[in-house]
Amino acid sequence: MGVDSLSMSEARHPAAETSSARPSSAVHSYNVRICHWINLVSCVYLLWSGVHIFLDFPELYWGHTGYRGYPAAFRLADWGLSWEEAGALGDRRWGRNYHFTAAWVFLINGLVYVVWNLYSSHFRNRMWPARDERTVAHVRAELRDHLRWRSSRHANGSYGTLQKTSYLILIFVFVPLMILTGIAQSPGFTAAMPALLDMFGGRQTARTLHTIGTVVLMLFVVVHVLEVAAAGFFVKVRSMITGK
Amino acid sequence: MPTRISRRRWLTTSVPALGGLLLTGCSRETFVPPRVRGGLIGAADVLTMSTNRLLLSGQQLAREYSRSDVADPFPTWNQTNPRNAEYQRHASEGFRNWRLPISGLVQRPRDLSLDEIRRLPPRTQITAHICEQGWSAIGEWTGAPLQRLIEEAGGVTPAARYVVIDTFDGWYEGYDLFEVAHAQTILAYGLNGRDLPRGNGAPLRLRVERQCGYKNLKFLKSIRVVDSMADIGRGTGGINSDFGFHWFAGV
Repeated sequence: MGVDSLSMSEARHPAAETSSARPSSAVHSYNVRICHWINLVSCVYLLWSGVHIFLDFPELYWGHTGYRGYPAAFRLADWGLSWEEAGALGDRRWGRNYHFTAAWVFLINGLVYVVWNLYSSHFRNRMWPARDERTVAHVRAELRDHLRWRSSRHANGSYGTLQKTSYLILIFVFVPLMILTGIAQSPGFTAAMPALLDMFGGRQTARTLHTIGTVVLMLFVVVHVLEVAAAGFFVKVRSMITGK
Repeated sequence: MPTRISRRRWLTTSVPALGGLLLTGCSRETFVPPRVRGGLIGAADVLTMSTNRLLLSGQQLAREYSRSDVADPFPTWNQTNPRNAEYQRHASEGFRNWRLPISGLVQRPRDLSLDEIRRLPPRTQITAHICEQGWSAIGEWTGAPLQRLIEEAGGVTPAARYVVIDTFDGWYEGYDLFEVAHAQTILAYGLNGRDLPRGNGAPLRLRVERQCGYKNLKFLKSIRVVDSMADIGRGTGGINSDFGFHWFAGV
């Protein structure tokens, strides 16, 4: 088995022996693999179309109000790209069409993933840190490995505590916040759910947070890809495609 | 102060309203754009519109703000002074001779002067204008409900499906009867306590508070009630969707 020979051939994490290893025929289930790649495609479209929408109005504000001439929290012009230059790069018509289409793909795919993996106990078995993984010593050892650029992969390709925690926060806190800050900008959804406006303190605040969230998400992706690279890019990507 | 709606109140108003919509107002036009685009984009359009309309089936009002939130002067965007000769003549006459025709599938087609529209029961609402580009500003709009104007023409005939608005700067847009029936769907002649400025759409502009700025047409020229959008413009339902923007601009 590729997985076993792989984990034997690499330096094993000190916590790996104590971590509850589970027998599994595939590193990633069908559901996880399919959802992962649909998610990647929809996120690329969301990012690209979002950048287009932003470039057509490259300023951010706090509160309910924000227009050209109103005190801005962020102006792209201050960073070297004038309003006209940004407008020439951005196409909000293309952006809006693809942003909301990709958002539906992202949402439906995400719901399938979450419901399926709650049902199949994937979250409980593989993503909820076990008791022995929730110790300070364990997390400290993992952090040390990360800082030394050493893969902290566990037996059977199971996830580390930091990895589990960041995935859970991403899926159950960050993504819902991105969806909420997204629809808090919509005149239709906010008429139906005015609490969205109070939750974030205004439509422009929601737009600003949505943009900040995009940057945070890109940082997550950078770290995620670096971690994959550290653990062996080819093997990891192959296992997310074939399951082996 | 903005009105805060508790979760309980939201549930108690939206759940029965949803039932009401499913029982009575369940027409295709309420959930689906006049022409559905192909592919995934079209599927997303239908999902967005039908989700919005289900959530708004109680015809809830968009958030109304307080006077201290108002942007004054209110920002202007796009066309601020149509070059159209007829418009310029009306403007130079202070819109005294301007009349708004209401034609098509109404019981008694007629036209109304600005004074006649001002004499209808007015509605004032302090709402956010939300441009699809990303900016938003709050204004105090005063006008006559569109539904009330159509009642002045005897109401719509049974075949009516859309209300089409034409403007002096050449825009045209279709609105389904669900949007027209909303209490905040008004034809505004006042902004921030004064006559609507030319840059903001004088003499009359549409307010559809649950849709983006581009559906809120300025410089109104006429109102038509139709049974289909197929013969108007390129047939997608309005000038914005003819150019590839969403027909339903609730997001």
